[in-house]
Amino acid sequence: MEAVQQYSETELVYLLKQRSESAFSYLYDNYAQSLNAVILNIVPDHDLVQDVLQEVFVKIWKQIESYDAQKGRLFTWMLNIARNAAIDLVRSKGYRKQQQSSELTDRAAESAGTSQVATDHIGLRKLVYQLKEEQRVLVELSYFQGYTQDEIAQLLQIPLSTVKTRLRSALTQLRSSIKA
Amino acid sequence: MDIQAYIQSGIIESYVLGLADAEEIAELLRMRDQYPEVAAAIEQFEAALKQQLENSAPPPPPSIKAALMQELAPEFSKPAVVKPMRTWLRYAAAASIILLIGSASLNLYLYNEVNETKGKYQALLVEKNSVIADNKVYQTKMQDMLNSLQMMNDPAMKKVMMPGVKGKEQMMTTVYWDSRSKDVYVFSNNMPAAPAGFSYQLWAIVDGKPVDAGVMDNCSGLCRMKNIPKAEMFAITLEKAGGSPVPTLTQLQVAGKV
Repeated sequence: MEAVQQYSETELVYLLKQRSESAFSYLYDNYAQSLNAVILNIVPDHDLVQDVLQEVFVKIWKQIESYDAQKGRLFTWMLNIARNAAIDLVRSKGYRKQQQSSELTDRAAESAGTSQVATDHIGLRKLVYQLKEEQRVLVELSYFQGYTQDEIAQLLQIPLSTVKTRLRSALTQLRSSIKA
Repeated sequence: MDIQAYIQSGIIESYVLGLADAEEIAELLRMRDQYPEVAAAIEQFEAALKQQLENSAPPPPPSIKAALMQELAPEFSKPAVVKPMRTWLRYAAAASIILLIGSASLNLYLYNEVNETKGKYQALLVEKNSVIADNKVYQTKMQDMLNSLQMMNDPAMKKVMMPGVKGKEQMMTTVYWDSRSKDVYVFSNNMPAAPAGFSYQLWAIVDGKPVDAGVMDNCSGLCRMKNIPKAEMFAITLEKAGGSPVPTLTQLQVAGKV
C-alpha cells in the first residue's frame, strides 16, 4: 500500500504531524539518500555517517511540529537539519580528539587514495573542487564547516560584502555544474 | 527590480544550502511570495540539488531504516492515519448509514406485513373452502326443495292430510301418493323432532289392517317412503328407533283418510 502511495509535500507534512508511520516511511525512502550524501560530504567517517543520518531522521520526526511551510520547503528545511547535525559532530570535542589521534593514519590513507579521500569526490565536494581557490575556501568554510559570513569575513580579514559577492558567484557556478 | 537578475544572483542557492543570513532570507521569502518565478526557481534548484546528491552517493544501508522504524514505533499513531475524509464524503457516509438503517427497518416492517398477509390469506382460503362446501350443501338442499315442490304440484300426486289426533292437534303431516308408481312421500308440516331412541313410523291401513310404510329417519322436506299399492288411510306412530312390525296404537300421532 505504502509502496505505490504518492504524497504531495503538503499531504506528507500533514501526515507526519499526525504521526503517520507510512508517511515517515515514505519520507525516509524519498530523502534518505540525498541527506546521506550531504552528511557524507561533511563527516568522512562512514560509520559515523550512519549514526548521524539516523539522528537526523529522529530530529526531523521530533521537530516536524515546528516546521513552517511559509518559511521554506521541506527539503531545504531537512537539508539544513542534516548539514547542521553533521557539522555539530565534526566540531564536537570527542570527534576532534579522535581525529587528532588518528591524523597520521588519515594522512597515510589520503595519500594512498582510500575511502577517506573518496568522499571528496562525491556530492557537492566534487563540484566545489572545480571552483577557483578564493571561491572554494568560502564554500568550504560556510557550507562544509558552518561558519557564518560574518565569521568568515573576520577569519579571512576581508570585507563582509566581498564575502557575500564571492560566495554568491561561487554558488551560481555550482548551480550551473549541478544542472549540467 | 530585475527578477531574472535576482534569481541569477546566487541568493537562491545560498538560501537552500543554508548559507544566507536572516536579512537575505527575509528578502527572498518576500520575493518568493510576490513573484511566482522566484518560487519556481527555488523549487527547481532544490530538485536539481537533490538529484545531484542522489547521483553522487550510494543509498544508505537498509539497516538504518529498520533501526529508525523500530526506534520510533512507540510514537507512530496507532490506527494507520489515512487521509482525512473529505466533508462531503463524511456526509455521504452518514447519509448512507441512515439510508441503510431506514432500508433495514422498512425490510423488517415489510417482512412482518408479508407474514401477516400470508396468515390472513391462509385463513381466507380456509374460509373460502368452507363457504364453497356450505354452498354445495345449500345447492343440494335447494335442488331437493325444487324436486319436492315439483312433486307436490304434480296433478298425479294424491295428497293426504294427516292432522294430529286428540291431544296433539297442533301436529300436521301430509302424505303424497303417486297414483302412477304408487310411491309414497311424506312431508312434515309441523312435527316435533322424535325424542332420542325413538323414530316416527308411517303406516298404511289396507283393508282395516296396518301395513308398514317405512321409518322417517334422517329426512328433511319430502321423504320417500315405501311403495304402497293400495290403502284407505295413513297414520304415524312413535316407535323405538328402527321401527316396529306392528304399530303401538297408544303412540298414534297423526292420521288421515285417503
